[in-house]
This record gives sequence, C-alpha cells and structure tokens, in this order.
Amino acid sequence: MKLKHLLFVGFIMILTFGLAACSGEEADGDSEGQGNGDDNSTADEDVTLHVAALESAYGEEMWRNIIEDYEAIKENVSIELTIEKNLEEVIRPQMQAGDYPDVFLLATDREEALTETMIKENGLENITDVLDMTIPGEDVAVKDKLLEGFSDTLATNPYGDGEMYMAPMFYSPSGMFYNAGLFDEQGWEVPETWDDMWELGDQATEQDMSLFTYPIAGYFDTFIGSMLYASGGADFFNSAMTYEEGVWETEEAERVLQTVEQLAEYTHPNTVANANPNDFTKNQQLILDNEALFMPNGAWVVEEMAEAPRSDNFEWGMTSIPAFESGEGERYTFTFFEQMWVPAEAENTEAAKEFIAYMYSDEAADTFLEAGAVQPIEGMTEKMEGQQKEFYSIYDEDVLPAMGTFASTNPVPGVSISDALYGSIDSVVNGEMTYEEWQATVQEASDQLRPEMQ
Amino acid sequence: MKKSNRMSTAKLFKLFIYIALAGLAISIIVPVGWVFLASIKENSEFYGNPWALPDGFHFQNFVEAFIEANMGQYLFNSVMVTSLALLFLLVIALPAAYVLSRFKFFGSGLLNSFVKAGLFINVSYIAVPIFLMLLGWDNVLQTLIGQGFFLDNRVILALIYASTALPFTIFLLSSYFETLPSDFEEAANIDGAGYFRTMFSVMLPMAMPSIVIVILFNFLLFWNEYLLALTIMPGDNKTLPVGLLNLLAAERAAVNYGPMYAGMVIVMLPTLILYIIVQKRLTEGMTVGGVKG
Amino acid sequence: MSKKVSRNIFITVCISPAILLFILFMVVPTFEVFRMSLYRWGGLSGSQQFVGLDNFKILWNDMDFIQSFQNTILLIVLVAIITLFFAVFFAAVLTREQLIGNNFFRVVFYIPNILSIVVIAGIFSAIYDPESGLLNSILGIVSLENWQQMWLGNQDIVIYSIAGALVWQAIGYYMVMYMSSMASIPASYYEAASLEGAGKIKQFTAITLPLIWNNIRTTLAFYIISTINLSFLLVTAMTGGGPSGSTEVFLSYMYDQAYGNSTYGYGMAIGVIVFTFSFLLAAIVSRITKRDVLEY
Repeated sequence: MKLKHLLFVGFIMILTFGLAACSGEEADGDSEGQGNGDDNSTADEDVTLHVAALESAYGEEMWRNIIEDYEAIKENVSIELTIEKNLEEVIRPQMQAGDYPDVFLLATDREEALTETMIKENGLENITDVLDMTIPGEDVAVKDKLLEGFSDTLATNPYGDGEMYMAPMFYSPSGMFYNAGLFDEQGWEVPETWDDMWELGDQATEQDMSLFTYPIAGYFDTFIGSMLYASGGADFFNSAMTYEEGVWETEEAERVLQTVEQLAEYTHPNTVANANPNDFTKNQQLILDNEALFMPNGAWVVEEMAEAPRSDNFEWGMTSIPAFESGEGERYTFTFFEQMWVPAEAENTEAAKEFIAYMYSDEAADTFLEAGAVQPIEGMTEKMEGQQKEFYSIYDEDVLPAMGTFASTNPVPGVSISDALYGSIDSVVNGEMTYEEWQATVQEASDQLRPEMQ
Repeated sequence: MKKSNRMSTAKLFKLFIYIALAGLAISIIVPVGWVFLASIKENSEFYGNPWALPDGFHFQNFVEAFIEANMGQYLFNSVMVTSLALLFLLVIALPAAYVLSRFKFFGSGLLNSFVKAGLFINVSYIAVPIFLMLLGWDNVLQTLIGQGFFLDNRVILALIYASTALPFTIFLLSSYFETLPSDFEEAANIDGAGYFRTMFSVMLPMAMPSIVIVILFNFLLFWNEYLLALTIMPGDNKTLPVGLLNLLAAERAAVNYGPMYAGMVIVMLPTLILYIIVQKRLTEGMTVGGVKG
Repeated sequence: MSKKVSRNIFITVCISPAILLFILFMVVPTFEVFRMSLYRWGGLSGSQQFVGLDNFKILWNDMDFIQSFQNTILLIVLVAIITLFFAVFFAAVLTREQLIGNNFFRVVFYIPNILSIVVIAGIFSAIYDPESGLLNSILGIVSLENWQQMWLGNQDIVIYSIAGALVWQAIGYYMVMYMSSMASIPASYYEAASLEGAGKIKQFTAITLPLIWNNIRTTLAFYIISTINLSFLLVTAMTGGGPSGSTEVFLSYMYDQAYGNSTYGYGMAIGVIVFTFSFLLAAIVSRITKRDVLEY
C-alpha cells in the first residue's frame, strides 16, 4: 500500500507512463484481429491460467501459497504466475504481441495507469456474475461474504452503470493518525466533531503544538473524500465525483472547503515547506515529535516510519474524520483498496472469474492476512492482532466506510480535477488563496470535465 | 603618505577576494562532503540533525545499493554505452567540425546556422518521438524478420547519444578550429599532403586540448543521462542513472536514506575521478566564441 | 580540376555522417513534436484527431501554463545575471591576481557542475530545511532570525530558492569558460594600462570586458538553454512543482500535460512554444548585445 508514495516520487516515472502510452496503442491495434476473448474453457477441461500480479509491499510469497492451494482444489487448473514490481513494463510487450494474461492484480492510480487505459479503452471483461458465484472450496456465494459497499463504487464499477468490472482486493482504512500516548498523557479526548477539533487546536497552541499537518497535498484525496461523505452523504459524494453541475457551489461542498481553510490556521508552519516528494517524511516526523497532533495518512505509515526516533510513550492511533454536527453527525473513514480484473482479450475468462471468486475464500484470505493484506470479507477483524486490529476496527464504532474516486473522463488539455482540488491546498494553507477562490477553481475544472465523461 | 594608503586599499581588496573565494569554496565542499558522509550513515541518523557527523561507517548501505539497484550489470552497461557514444561522437563530429570551420563551400553558412539551431533542440521533448520512431522501425522488422532490433539496444542508444550531442560538440570544436592559424595547413599543402592527411596528422593533434574538453563534457552528459535511457531501453539493459532512479524511488518510498546516498556516491565517483584527471586541461580547451570568434 | 573534386569528396565524406544522424535523430523528432502539436491525442488510444491550432488557443488561456512561463522567464533572467556577475568576477580574480591556492579554487568551483541533479536536489533540501537547515541555522547564529524563511514553503520565495541552487551549480562552469578567454589576452595590455596609471577596475572595464564580450554573448544562449533544461530536472526532484504550482516550469508542465493528464498533443504544443521561445529569446539577446568586436 505504498502506492500512494510512488505517485509522488517524480516525473521520471511519468516518462515510463509515456512508454505505456505508446505501447498501449500498439496493443489495441494488434489485438483487434484476435478479439476472441470469450469462454473457450469449461469446468473440466485442463486450463493454464496466466495470473499477473504487482509485487507490492506484501511480497510475492503469499501469491505462491495462494496458487499452490488453488491448484490443490482445482485439479484441472495449472497457474502460470508473473509477479513483478514493475509489472506494467514487463507485461506490456506481451500484450502488444496479443498475449494477454487471464487475470490481473493491478490497482488504479498507478503512474503507468495501465488499468485506467484498459478502462478507457473498454478493455475489461464484465465480471458482475462473480458476485453470484460459489466460492471454490466453500458453499457460499461471493456476494454473501463481501463487505457491504465494496462492490458498488466507481472503483469497481467504473462506468457507473451497476456493472462490475473490477473486483475489490486488499483494503486498508485511512484516516487521521495521531500519538495516542500523548492524548493519554494530556487527558485529551479524540475529537468527534469539528467543534471539538478547534477546541483541541486552541489547547494545543497553548502548549506550542500545532493541531494539524499533512505529508503532501495529495494526501487530502481521502481526507476531503471523507468530508464530502460526512457533509452530504453517499449520493452527494457521487454527484461530486461525477462532476454534477454546480456541485461545488452547494452548501455541503462549501463547508468542506471552508473547514479546510480553517484547518489551515491550525497547521504546523513547516508543513508546506516540507510538502514535496523530497521532504514529506519531515512532516510525518512532526507527529512522532509531538509537534503536530493529527495528519491524514494510511496504515502503511507505521511501517514507513518504523525506524524514525519518537517521543516517549509514543503509540500510533487512528481516528476518523470529525463529523460536522455533534450528535447525529455522521463520521466517515476512507477505505483504499486494490483491484483485480480480467482483460476482455483473455483466453480463459471463466476460469479467471472462478479464480477471482476463490480470492474471497477463508483459505485465501488467511494466506493474504499472514502477509498483512486484508480481504474485504466478513469476519477478518476478529483474526487480526494488535495495531492492525485497532486500525481495521475503526468501522466497528458507528464510523461508516467511504469509498470511490472521480469518474473517468476523456483527457482535457490543461484541466485536472485533482490539481484543482488537492493541488491548491498548499496555497490555501499559506493564505495565498481563499476558500472562495479555491471553490471557483474546482467548480471550473469540474465544469470542463463534465461533458467529457464516458 | 599616499603610497601607504594605496597599499592598504590593495590589501583590503585582497582580503575581500579571499573571503569571497573561501565563501564559495566552502559552500561547495561542505555539501559535497555531506553527501559522502550521508552515504555511510545509518537510517535512524537521518531523522536527527542532517549536519551531524555519522556515528560510524555503515558500509551496508553500499552493499544494499549494489544489490538493490543491480549495480554490477548497470555499471557495465553505462561504461559500454558511454564509451561507445564518445567514440561515435568523436569519429563523426571531429571531421564535421573541422570542415565546417575551415572550408567555405556551397551551403556551409546554412549548415553552420543549422548547428546553432540544433543547440535549442532539447532532449526532454524529443525523447518520446524518438521512441515512437524506433518502435515503428521495430514493428516493421517484426513483420519482416520476426524480431526487433532498435529498442533496448545499447549500440543504438550510444548512437542516439552521439547524435544529440552533435550540435554542441561541433559548435565547441569549430570555435577552437577557427582560432588555429592557417599556416600549418598551407605548409602541409605545400608538402603535398592531401586533405585527409592534413586533417589527421596536422589539425587533429593540434585540437587535442579541445578534444579533452569534449570528452569531459560529453562524458558527464552521457554518464548522467536518464531520460533517453529510460525511454528507449525498456528491457534489461538499463544504465546506471536509471538504476539509481529506481533505487531512489524504492528507497524513498521505503524511507531508506542510507542506500539512496550510497547509490548517488557510486554514480558520482567516476565523474569526479575523470574530472580530477583532466582538470588541468580544462581552461586550455574552452574557447567557445573566443576572443577571435 | 581534380583538386576541386578531391576537395568536394573530402567535404562530403567529413560532414555527411553528421548531417545524416543530425537529421535522423534531431530534426525528424523535432518535426514530429511540431506535427503532434496539431493533434488531439490522449497518448493511449489509437485515435488521433487533427485539431489545427486548437492546442495553442487553449494554451493562451491556460493560467497554469502562463504561470510556468513566468517562472521560467524569471529563472532565466535571475540565473543569467547573477551567474554572469559571479563567474566573471571570479574568473577575473583567478586570472589576474596572484593568489595562494589559485589552482585549488579553480578545481573546486567546477565541482558542482559534475554533480548529478539528483545529488544537488538532496543537498539543497538539506540546506533549505526550515528547522535544521544550514541556511536557517546560520541566520539563527548571526541573530538574523527575521531573515529566516520557509525557503521551500513560501510561495513568494521558493522560486528564488530554486534560482539559488541553479546559480550555485552554474558558476564554476561559466567561470572556467571566461577564464580560458581571459587567459588568452596578452599580459602586455595590462602592463601598458598599468603604466598609464589605470587601476584594477579601469583595467577590467577597458580591457578584460571588451575582449571577452563575444565569449559572454555566446554564453548568454547557453544560459537560456541550460536554465530551461536544468530547472525542469531540479524542480522535479526537489519541489515537484509545488507549493501549488509556484515552481512549475516549462518542461515540467509539458510532462505533466503530455503524460500525467493524458493530453499528449497539448504537451507537444508546449514543446513547440519552448523551442520557439528559447530560439527567439537567444536571437534577440544576441542582437541587442552586438558590439563591434575588438581584435588584438
């Protein structure tokens, strides 16, 4: 789950993306003729399933174990695995030559954007029927085990038509991270509403601490996402994600932007200076040194800062984004997940779907859990221990999961919704931009993207 | 009276000069030394004061950098590509610069302005068009003989390096050739030497100081180049800077600073060594747009 | 007659490989950049749509592009003027003055130029750090706390911080260039001037400067070219264009658009502007700095 950082490590990766661009085109040209991607495998025939997976922080060992187990259950299936850190670069030439893997584990939001390319080119197989499949080795259907909400977001149904093209894998909650040890020491309560938050901010200022910091502005994606959910609910969030007319001028959106502006006053003064790919860990260090209280982040930060020095009694804590109203105000925490999908050109689509169904079996989930990866199925939190359990239990106490991302559009020159929405935050924090100006910028980008939606 | 007064202003001036010189020298030596020290620090030391001295010699960083970045193989690739590119460049640019600077012929003025315009072409924006071109050629070859040739080929990369360095190199060499007196050519001519012999045995040896500069400049350029290397070498034949970048990306994502700086030192050392070797000739050969230009 | 033929053969043999490679790997790709700037192409799909000059019209109203344009021009001007001043000063001092450690300074000053830009970014990130950075520490020691800054965080200052790193990197390179042409000025000139009672400053303005003027003019074009290129590499490694695009430069914005935003044709239109702009700027600078060349 360090994907997020890779997003910012530098443009050089973008160049590789350029490579993707060119070859992607080739791949499509070549594959026209052999678009015979339909099912030519039945349950009993011998099948060689080609699985391509990105080697992430979870390592490759778990995939070897999964494959071993799966081959034991399905005797007619043998699996050929390609697992690489730079999966896109390795797999692309093969796809150019018309040789498509049957199933991919490769998330969106990677620099190389291979998955996004496949979405835009309508190159994904519809896998809605996986939900009704019985999990191999068990007698439960996938949809009965899958956690609520995971199969109806734009991250799984990219065209927003209720059809699933990508299966959710390996989820991880993100939220505000803080030093739980410090809160115990000071006798502070973790704020539940923004009013509590400001009150705590004033107390912290008295002790020469800042309420807030952030690694880099990009980390606001889940933060603002959760705030949009909290402000207007799931439908409102979706209308923002689909660039609905005037959505950023609504009261719900306005109070989100206004809150961020107010948060700026409580932000540690060094934050913006360090909010770049070179220095972002210095901002994370502020939490460890008790210089700032909260930062938006993901569970990977624990591992990332493992060797960093810290104040006495330091203990990681994670909480959800505060609610707008006390009492009935809803609180949300954003959930990241990766995706598994089947290219439309794949040879063994049915076998591939069965393999995806197996991902939700208890056996597979346990294997993944050993490596630290958590499948979005019922009953996983009970199996966890320690810090991980604490983070994943965040949804147990009336905190709702937030999920989804901006709908994909045709590219528009000079316009990027994430630049407008997240990229402006440094300016807002520096006081160079008011929330009204920010609102206008975002609304303008949204207006320009609306007609380009697919 | 007057004289002693003058003496003291001269002394003050000297003092001022020394302070300025020492200031700049310190601003260079301290940070560069800092990189070397950082490369032997342990990871936890990076969270403290960045100017603190290392606690010990943490050689593990270099081992990790070598293994993680596959430095052995990449070092070999870099040496090969850089030396081939330098060879191509000298073989192609020297005669061209000589002819362009010392011969008047139909179109020579146009060609000279072409070279100057070429200085403004930036590798940063032609990298991808070059890639697309090579990809196109490879696709043709694929249908003809069943395999590609141009992409992921170290020799082709060296050739492209040489080509992109042509404008600057020819410009630099021409400026130097122009400053050479024509007596030598005339003498050689009278001795009955042909054009080729005059060039090889008379003019090229005289251009040695400038050739040293060309080698140093372009060595720095080729050795540190990564945009093209990354774009047109998608396979296993990566060069050192690309390896370093992958290392940087991996180590930074993992917040593992020691190996990161160790990698930088590994890439930096060969350039430092070459520079120390040739630095004496540095001022001799640089007469770009010189007094007589 | 045969002499003429052999001369022509010689010329052809010498220049054709260079011309061939130059056209193949420089002119053709540049032409491609120009051609693609007229298309709307995501860079991913197979559909390229000819849109004429539309990409350029969008550029005209793209505030982010205009900001990157301003940043680039500011950097070129700052880096050229400051570097020029220091490089000429140090070059004159090191050639004309009898100093201890003359050679040492010359060798050291050139070192930044051989460092990889990634190393430079690492160095300056440590120098500009708000807490423990060298710059703020020194300002703290000499009790100039008011001068302490968020060197990379304050949007009004960050572009100057970038310029500082670029100047640091460039001084040695240009100094060596000026030194080599100063070294070729005959010492007798200075002796004569000295006899006539001209001081050091007078000697510099009356002899050194006019005689290396052509050299300086040539390097002005280099300042333009290398600042455009190096600012891109440095900004990418150091600030990622932030905070909020305040250090975005020409080429970083081009990459952002061509690849990050999947608008390849638009990115190429920026490439065309960069090429044309740098070329024109160099031509204008060369024209207005033209003086009668002094010979000796």
